[in-house]
Amino acid sequence: MNVIDQVASDLFSVFLFGSVQGAVFSLLALGFSLVYGVGGVMNLAHGGFYLATMYTFYWCIKVWEQTILMSIIITLIVIVIICILTFVLLIKPLQHTEIGILMATFALAFFFEQLVKVLPWSDNQTHWVPNIIKGNPIELFGINFPVRYLWTIIGAIIVVVIIYIFISKAKLGKSIRAVAQDREAAQLMGINANLIIMVTIIISGLLVAFTTFLYGAGEEVYPSMGWGFLIQSFAIVVLGGMGSIPGSVLGAFIIGYSRTFCSYFIGTQFAEIFPIIIIVFMLVFRPQGLLGKKEVE
Amino acid sequence: MLTKIRQLLSIYKKSIKNFFPSLKAGTKNIIKDLPNQLNNVKMRIFTFKSGLTILCLIILILFPIFPETEYYISILMYAMIFAILAASWDFLVGFVGQISFGHAMFFGISGYSGALLIQNLGISWFASIFLGAIVAIFLGLFIATPCLRLKGPYLALGTQAFALILFNLMLSQKELNITQSFTDLDYILQYFILMGFMIISLSIMLIIVKSKLGTIFKSIRDDQICADASGINTTKYKLIAFIISSFFAGIAGGLYMVKISSVSYGNFLPLYSFYAIIMAAIGGLGTITGAAVGSFIFFIIQEIFSELFSASGGQMEAFANYGPVLVFALFLILVIRFADQGIMKPAVERLKELFDLLMGR
Amino acid sequence: MGMILEVKNLTKKYGGLTAVNDMSFEIMRGEFIGLIGPNGAGKTTLFNVISGFEKPNSGSIRFDGMDITGLKPFRIVNLGISRTFQLVRSFRYLTTLDNVSVACLSQRGKEISNIVGINNYASTLLASVGLIDKARLPPVILPHGDLRRLEIAKALGSNPQLLLLDEPFSGLSHEEAEGIISLINKLREEGLTIFITGHVLRELMNLVPRVIAMVQGKFVIDGPPREVANHKLVLEAYLGRGEGFA
Repeated sequence: MNVIDQVASDLFSVFLFGSVQGAVFSLLALGFSLVYGVGGVMNLAHGGFYLATMYTFYWCIKVWEQTILMSIIITLIVIVIICILTFVLLIKPLQHTEIGILMATFALAFFFEQLVKVLPWSDNQTHWVPNIIKGNPIELFGINFPVRYLWTIIGAIIVVVIIYIFISKAKLGKSIRAVAQDREAAQLMGINANLIIMVTIIISGLLVAFTTFLYGAGEEVYPSMGWGFLIQSFAIVVLGGMGSIPGSVLGAFIIGYSRTFCSYFIGTQFAEIFPIIIIVFMLVFRPQGLLGKKEVE
Repeated sequence: MLTKIRQLLSIYKKSIKNFFPSLKAGTKNIIKDLPNQLNNVKMRIFTFKSGLTILCLIILILFPIFPETEYYISILMYAMIFAILAASWDFLVGFVGQISFGHAMFFGISGYSGALLIQNLGISWFASIFLGAIVAIFLGLFIATPCLRLKGPYLALGTQAFALILFNLMLSQKELNITQSFTDLDYILQYFILMGFMIISLSIMLIIVKSKLGTIFKSIRDDQICADASGINTTKYKLIAFIISSFFAGIAGGLYMVKISSVSYGNFLPLYSFYAIIMAAIGGLGTITGAAVGSFIFFIIQEIFSELFSASGGQMEAFANYGPVLVFALFLILVIRFADQGIMKPAVERLKELFDLLMGR
Repeated sequence: MGMILEVKNLTKKYGGLTAVNDMSFEIMRGEFIGLIGPNGAGKTTLFNVISGFEKPNSGSIRFDGMDITGLKPFRIVNLGISRTFQLVRSFRYLTTLDNVSVACLSQRGKEISNIVGINNYASTLLASVGLIDKARLPPVILPHGDLRRLEIAKALGSNPQLLLLDEPFSGLSHEEAEGIISLINKLREEGLTIFITGHVLRELMNLVPRVIAMVQGKFVIDGPPREVANHKLVLEAYLGRGEGFA
């Protein structure tokens, strides 16, 4: 293959795999952004939630290799319980102390990380989650594209669209938007703001769980995986604008493509750092993000 | 210039004349109070809290005398190093209100620079600590400048992001083993040197926060807009705070590097940022000394875990290694939820009550 | 004497809302001026722009001949303009004495405190507002009237030539308001220029010799209280399409 073909092929790879990354990050960042937009809380344990779902799914699959359904159900139950407990025990009581919430959710993330290392059936090593989506890789223009990634992209699009419709049209979704805009006004209209915030956190947990189902099978799990995803989510919502659904998706794909681009053309090391440079740049020059509204102090 | 001073003095004098009644009472009180104030300083040295501090210091100093303590001295040395790190974090967060979740980067960069200097220029371990801390200051300024406008969660995650970048960059670096003479010194001498560093660092930080500079810092923490409205250049003072905090975090990092005689990505572990946070928070934010208390408690508990669980082998060993952080994460959550002053202040107050009771007051 | 504050064609917009619309006026040194307007008229925004907390979209502000448009708040304080806030602000975890000390530690305040000592200066200011006996207390336990006094003491810490008081009477009982009024009068005797806002007219009208009225961001009238009170637009803004105003 001559140079042009190589470059074209690489660019196409970037497009394909970048789309997968974008899809994954959309789901993760969306939950993070929603919780901040609605509840005013930056959930530093968001990466920890992903850790929780991935590990739970992984352990379940090891136990029930035949029926994935059990693994899915259990993971969903676990994350919902975690979300409810996090809200009731941590977030609701600490809502008014900024430092308190940051430190508590930060501590929670560390708690999950260490828990995973300490549990008797687990260890400190990196493991691969078995690939549950069988099938041979598809060949597209000479590039091997694993089937599961197809599911990732399609699934992510479906989920995001469902969430968008839910937030726009459903009664609960409208309540969520009301609380995000003005909590007091919403409460005066009879909306139970605390319940709404808890629901939002549960939604963010479900989104994390779906990421696990659509993407996690076939990926690695290791105790410190939460932090990278937390920072990515933060980078995306800073880029796209806190509390904006289209912004989070846009940001996710921008970062997904940039990371993959960096991986192919510059080096994987840079791919990790790139989103963080974006964070810094955006925070300094345009803290409201590309699509977000300016935060009123 | 002189006329300006005279003008201001005359305005001031006019103010005095016009507010005569309440001022007379006020200044009379203050003057009457003056010998009392001097007495206060004398008395403060003999208060319960100072007595407690002195007692702890005496215990620390006399510790090596007891037999079979060599192993524990090592643990105490690490406790003292991290006490400085935690105190530097408390300085920035508890007194100036700037939340940093990436303090490990100052800790690491100082050790790394110091190690490079030792390896390439052959400087002494003593110099490497200070030079490393100065590098940490530069990193602090570099980080602080974009982060200055950030508040709360943005600042926390911004600093964490920076620290993560640095950590990732270091992952690909080789470990450096350095030969320097600190670890050749007698064990006990090392102990006292570290203790000296800890006492001096904490004392300097305490002096700063109790001074007028400290008052300015606290005003920025309490209400930055109000501080702006009072004519304080908050940007300048936040930078100063970052400089001081990163300097002492750097001192801690240099001491750590010198103690373990090597530097790698392990010096930049995000875990150390977490250490700083839990130690300072559990001891009590906004106290400086609480951070030291938190550090000692952490290492003591870590040692207890180690003794209880590692001998059993197998899975229990994992619990011995990671259990402390697990428990402390939980502990931190509990402290934030139920005892946001940390445990040092309430504990000291309880002890004082007990003491008073015993003394028959 | 001379002009101490000159505001020219000042405009401040928030998206589609124009909070301050082409305001122009002058204040002479030593004057005592009120700024009135119903809630939402833009009075606090105007103060925010003058004191540097917001940047205007257009227009200029000159203080003592110097252009201060767009300067940062602390710089404006150190040039000689201090302000108080509509919702009282204080440093929660500092004593009242330290609350005042902060302003005394500003660049301008240090010109005095370096000579006479911070504690002396702060104590004097605290005494001058009648709070010296509460010097070591935290602000949270002070009643509202004392908090307003504390705010004024803090504002004086930077030795201002012009004092902007934003609704200093709101939330005060009659006696507390009287206390603030006598405090203001003392400051007036000093020669301090005071620019005071309010939306309750009675206190202001009896207090100041000159009033500027603002309605919906726009300048309406500038003159003695009686004249302003009888102006058509002012009456409409406060009373709807009403009749006389006592």
